[in-house]
Amino acid sequence: MSYPSAYQEAIESLNQEVSRAQPSDILQFCANFFAQRLEGERADLLAGPHSKPPAMSGSAFPGRFGANSNPFGDGEKLGSAGGISNVIEEEETDTVESPAAPNFSFGAGGSFSSPFSGDGAGQGPPSSFKPAADGFPDQYGMGRRTSVSAESLNPTASSNDNWSPPFHQKTLEQLTRLRKSISGNFLFNHLDDDQSSQILGALVEKPIPAKDIKVITQGDQGDFFYVVEKGTFDVYVNPAGEFQPGPNGLGTKVATIESGGSFGELALMYNAPRAATVMSAEASCLLWALDRITFRRILMDSTFQRRRLYESFLEEVPLLASLTKYERSKIADALETQKYPAGTTIIKEGDAGEAFYLLESGEAEAFKSGNPAAVYQYKKGGYFGELALLNDAPRAASVISKTEVKVATLGKDGFQRLLGPVESIMRRTKYETGVEDIDPLSTK
Amino acid sequence: MKSVSRMATTALQKTTHPHLHSHSDSSSASTPSSSSQNNNTMASALQEKEFVAQFAEPHTPLPPQEIQTRQRSQDLGHSSRNLSVKDFELVRTLGTGTFARVWLVRLSNPAEQDRDKVFALKVLRKVEVIKLKQVDHVNHERSVLADVAGHPFITTLITSFSDHDSLYMLLDYCPGGEVFSYLRKAKRFDENTSRFYAAEIVLIIEFLHEREGVAYRDLKPENLLLDAEGHIKLVDFGFAKRLGNRETYTLCGTPEYLAPEVIQSKGHTTAVDWWALGILIYEFLTGYPPFWHQNPIEIYKQIVSKPVHFPSEPYTSPEAQDIIRQFCTVDRSHRLGNVQGGAAAVKAHPFFRGVYWDDVYYRKYRGPIIPPVRYLGDAQCFDTYPDEKHGRDVYTHELVKKWDHYFEDF
Repeated sequence: MSYPSAYQEAIESLNQEVSRAQPSDILQFCANFFAQRLEGERADLLAGPHSKPPAMSGSAFPGRFGANSNPFGDGEKLGSAGGISNVIEEEETDTVESPAAPNFSFGAGGSFSSPFSGDGAGQGPPSSFKPAADGFPDQYGMGRRTSVSAESLNPTASSNDNWSPPFHQKTLEQLTRLRKSISGNFLFNHLDDDQSSQILGALVEKPIPAKDIKVITQGDQGDFFYVVEKGTFDVYVNPAGEFQPGPNGLGTKVATIESGGSFGELALMYNAPRAATVMSAEASCLLWALDRITFRRILMDSTFQRRRLYESFLEEVPLLASLTKYERSKIADALETQKYPAGTTIIKEGDAGEAFYLLESGEAEAFKSGNPAAVYQYKKGGYFGELALLNDAPRAASVISKTEVKVATLGKDGFQRLLGPVESIMRRTKYETGVEDIDPLSTK
Repeated sequence: MKSVSRMATTALQKTTHPHLHSHSDSSSASTPSSSSQNNNTMASALQEKEFVAQFAEPHTPLPPQEIQTRQRSQDLGHSSRNLSVKDFELVRTLGTGTFARVWLVRLSNPAEQDRDKVFALKVLRKVEVIKLKQVDHVNHERSVLADVAGHPFITTLITSFSDHDSLYMLLDYCPGGEVFSYLRKAKRFDENTSRFYAAEIVLIIEFLHEREGVAYRDLKPENLLLDAEGHIKLVDFGFAKRLGNRETYTLCGTPEYLAPEVIQSKGHTTAVDWWALGILIYEFLTGYPPFWHQNPIEIYKQIVSKPVHFPSEPYTSPEAQDIIRQFCTVDRSHRLGNVQGGAAAVKAHPFFRGVYWDDVYYRKYRGPIIPPVRYLGDAQCFDTYPDEKHGRDVYTHELVKKWDHYFEDF
């Protein structure tokens, strides 16, 4: 049973909001979230100038209605006669036919107009081109978009250097404040605990002793992201796109950033010109700074190590022995990390099995009802619940965390979405080796 | 055909096969390589010009499974030790990038039958490549293009060479110009037109991912050219990378088209191209991408948290909306193209109902836009670009010493 994708997306973004805001009143928070979303969507709908929902009949899928028709429109197969369906020239006065109608062709003679001629030849009244009058976003820049790129880095584990992230001691209050400052930021809000603490450790103090010191300058290349620990900073934008010498070179003041605020986050993604100038508005300010290479290496190294760890764990699961490297890496990509405190029942005997687990750190034990002693001990690299991938049989035992544990988990549905049914994956061992007996599904 | 292949192996040094250069291990192994090296020194630029001239015209597509094995495509994409920029006459600029410029070129002093033949020559300045930290990327670009040469919808790398300051890639010329230009001119494409281009792109992505293990990483209308018949040619492999079974980490692409896992540095795979295809189909149908803002940071915030929203105008079919939403799914274990079946699942989506995929590959469908190309070297479909700025940085001795060996494959 799968949900509509729009629903899943809505739930995903709700999940992100919840994990970011950590609301105490969950129901109220969710209600607000959806009310806001609904409002936004309705506003967008109303903003559209016309509402002419085109009928589905005879529209975009000629292929559905006749065996010989063409999914790309009429007369497009080589050798066939007829017009060439062409790009749409805007035709706002035309209310009879939707501009998305498929049979929008340039006359039966097969002639075509240059797409650069712009006079909409053969389409009724010439040019009634109305930019931005049809729900087209008028502010959208129509120019060519340039590519962006960070410097290429190789994971430390796969190269020869012994890089380790810089660490700068901070007080507990400083850490709490910093955590709060960056928790809502989309570049940080998805990080796990280890990554966050490495990032927080790497932030380095940068004192700004006097007023009117430019921390970043509009138009300059940017390498650092800053969090304000103390003091205030003013943000200026020069409409020319860069800071210019002379009295009005700063441009207009557009914002003020106070303690707890941050700026320059784009520099953590790639090297791009600064969009504004940021200048201290008072004396003895204090900033925390983080550079892009450090940020990206921390995330890359930890992700790389975890992925290799997952792949090596997966290799040890007999049920998945016949997976190719590529398939294992796909599964490793989809595994989700969860943490449980000691004493948590991770799977419960008798429950329907939905997911399987790899033990990433910590220890856990398996118990069967009527037996007070643990029947099995799990350590790092151990796995349980894998039979859930095969069938819907109830869990044969409970698994309870003995210490705090970190597990990597994947549901049966996720597994099947990526690789198809486990049964067929297991069965292929039989064909690859030519040995009949090892079909793990044969019931003896 | 026979003489062609002999020409190729003698005239063009095979830098993609380094074992050909080895000469120390055994005498039997070194004989063929030393003789081919002798031939190499004798092979003149003239011969190589004859060789490249034959690739100026389109060929019938090879079946995808033969692209890596057939002689014709194996001859392509090797580094030339004899050609130089002097063997070409620069006609005009076709496009510019941050560290590259693409020229329409003719052969200088051509043989009579090659007078009308034209190519695209991509020129990369070494000093800019180094400054922008793109050394790995340009090497990936050259080697990936060499491997995929021969695919009907991918630009063909005929050969590459270098001189003191620059790297050169000689490519087939695609006279129709950028899909970007047609899209902006028309504001948007109808669903049939969008489907046609999307279908050809699906075949490109299938080939790159499933046969070559390559992630392209910069899909957008600017990188799609039309050939004279209106079929797609994918160009600019500056971010293409052979991944094997590993994820990769370098953030690259175009802001509006970046997948969420790229933005959030989670490690990314070939799945980023399927995300970008969803953005691309959306932009075809509506004229603008689903996530946009003047400030790139605001684009990224939307990409990681907002679902794709469809405007009421223009109308988009449920099938189109569904395939876009399935591509633009944050969770990669749900993303179409990345889930079980791969490209086959994409081809089976209702948006492509009725499409005969073999007919797409063998170019049996007529292109929805036939570019107004009047003659072989006509460049009227390309925008014009200002001349190169003077006073660029110098590729100094120190830089040469430190960096030049990284460019030896060119």
